[in-house]
Amino acid sequence: MQRGSRTQQPADLRGRAANAKSRSSEADSARFAPQIGSLMPLMVFAAEVFARRGLPPEWLAPVQLAMEELFTNMVKYGGERREPVLVQIAVSPGGVEVTLTDHDVAHFDVTQAPAVDISRPLHEREPGGLGLHLTRRLVDRLQYSYDPQRREARIAFRKWQAGGGQQ
Amino acid sequence: MMTIEAAGEGVVAVAGRLDAAQAPAAEVFLNGVQGTVTLDASRLDYISSAGLGVLLKTQKRLAGSGGKLRLRGLSKPVRDVFAYSGFDQIFEIEPAA
Repeated sequence: MQRGSRTQQPADLRGRAANAKSRSSEADSARFAPQIGSLMPLMVFAAEVFARRGLPPEWLAPVQLAMEELFTNMVKYGGERREPVLVQIAVSPGGVEVTLTDHDVAHFDVTQAPAVDISRPLHEREPGGLGLHLTRRLVDRLQYSYDPQRREARIAFRKWQAGGGQQ
Repeated sequence: MMTIEAAGEGVVAVAGRLDAAQAPAAEVFLNGVQGTVTLDASRLDYISSAGLGVLLKTQKRLAGSGGKLRLRGLSKPVRDVFAYSGFDQIFEIEPAA
């Protein structure tokens, strides 16, 4: 992991950017090599930000799960060696916003992944697709954007308190 | 970290985090179980789709020979993941012992 200090948020998240305590308009950020071995440092990074920013502990597991599912998707489908994935965590009033930015990758809109029929019996169930299904269930908003010139994919998700002002 | 080990006759205990990094080790262990097995997950803090995939493969394999994988003692975060994935309908889940 290459730890960032604090970086400015992406423009599409900047509107509500503020630390719940300090009202800072900054996000914690770090870069992770696109490999499964980066999962533990990624989870530690999330836990450290949650502790330092005073985020609700009960959000940590769903946020970590969404981060893992999106990150492992990048690892699986991102192709050969490329730049580290940039991960940013920002606190907003009533919520937290996480952005993962991957470079030199093809377009794949995770928000358009096929739905999983979770009512199927055991013999018809397959594990594929569950990661994005779970991500959509556990977070309050999932967004995808792609810059074809830079071949850069950006996935952002938000977790909000009930009635916390989701936009 | 994740640990998985035999914990008595027909019981396997799993603890820690069953994520994409740990799922291969869990799969190797569970490939060695037979019959009807209770997986004591009371010390399992976290599970992702990779961990669910290992449990699903194990359940299918055991069911093919008349056995099954039961789960025991799921924490709330893990139980939520089971519910959101529909796995609470394909696994028998017991409360903690």
